[in-house]
Amino acid sequence: MANARALDKRRKSIRNIRKITRTMELIATARYKKAMDRAAAVTAYTDQITKVVARLVAAGTEVQHPLLETRDQPQTARLLCLTSNRGLCGGYNASVLRTIVPHVESLRSSVPELIVDVSGKRGINGLKYRQIETTDRYTQFEDQPPFDEIEKIASEYLRQYAFGEIDRLDIVYTKFFSTSRQVPVVETLLPLGSLTETDGGGGGDDSTSEFEFLPSAESILEEIIPTSFKVKLFKCFLDAAVSEQVARMIAMKGATESAGDMIKQLSMTYNRARQSQITGEIMEIIGGVEALAK
Amino acid sequence: MPIRCVVVTPERTELDRVVDSIILPMYDGELGIRRGRAAMIGRLGYGQMRLHTEAGIESFFIDGGFAQVDQDVVSVLTSRALPAGSLDVDQVESELAEALAAPSSSPEQQRLKAASVMRARGMLRTAIRHQ
Repeated sequence: MANARALDKRRKSIRNIRKITRTMELIATARYKKAMDRAAAVTAYTDQITKVVARLVAAGTEVQHPLLETRDQPQTARLLCLTSNRGLCGGYNASVLRTIVPHVESLRSSVPELIVDVSGKRGINGLKYRQIETTDRYTQFEDQPPFDEIEKIASEYLRQYAFGEIDRLDIVYTKFFSTSRQVPVVETLLPLGSLTETDGGGGGDDSTSEFEFLPSAESILEEIIPTSFKVKLFKCFLDAAVSEQVARMIAMKGATESAGDMIKQLSMTYNRARQSQITGEIMEIIGGVEALAK
Repeated sequence: MPIRCVVVTPERTELDRVVDSIILPMYDGELGIRRGRAAMIGRLGYGQMRLHTEAGIESFFIDGGFAQVDQDVVSVLTSRALPAGSLDVDQVESELAEALAAPSSSPEQQRLKAASVMRARGMLRTAIRHQ
């Protein structure tokens, strides 16, 4: 039987850990709510953009833009991976990394040159361990990535794409579907092939008004396509941030529950140890008394 | 005769209120909107947006984007909407000087420089008008 004092010490330390995991769970819950609000705000923005595109299409504007055209022989591809800066979030980073590795291999076999960028310390270390070289590394994004900074990154990608420095841009991140479902996905952001997809989404608009375009439909289209790319990239960052908080929340909830179970188990063992110690002492006293009586 | 104005940025819905009229900084000049304006979609420039309300005039700096007018609802989609009161003339002037000093040796740099100069000038105009 284990030493009762050692058991008690262990139980105390687990109690302290439980306090920490519980606090982390509460913090993650609060951050998750904030991140969700931001994600809802960006959805309002993308909905409006989608409506504008749908109206441009409805007005008979031909949707043609260099960013929408797929290049025949891509020479250079770029891959951006979104991971977290901090750990203790369950399998969040591991599942993203598990998606990255096969995608890197398939890209390497189809495109002559591949550049990998990564956001988040966990991703930087994970890719280093897997011997995948990374070019740009971002560690400044936490649970509320600011649009200004992501816009800068997006503008740089747009510049590279326009100049032919890259022919394709992929992103690996954890897409948020619901609180119980987040899936690591690979999406191609450039060329922006999915503008047609958004066309379909905005098609159900109830307005039948004839729109006037100022200064012209082409000028609006020229501006709206880069904007929708920037917002799409921003949404990926927000989705990743929300998913990270959900993953942390669930992981910490599990840890708190496990700590509770462990404390229960240890308490039982401790009580038994204590009881057997007392029994032992009584036996000794009785033995002593009996020896004296003889 | 009121009209609804909604300003949306990617980070949040900045503004949603009923106003008398709106003056928008379009790509090629200002545009005033009152109730009953025909439906339109326009490209915004960098400049001052003014909302005429019963309490007076409110002004904001709009950082490009799009505006849509449909059934007496004006939706402004922009990357940033700053209240004109939050702009500091000295700071904006230094931003303009910085933008003017940027290199412009390649066509891409020229384009970037032109955009940042236009943005800084729009900001400066907004800040000075608000003083």
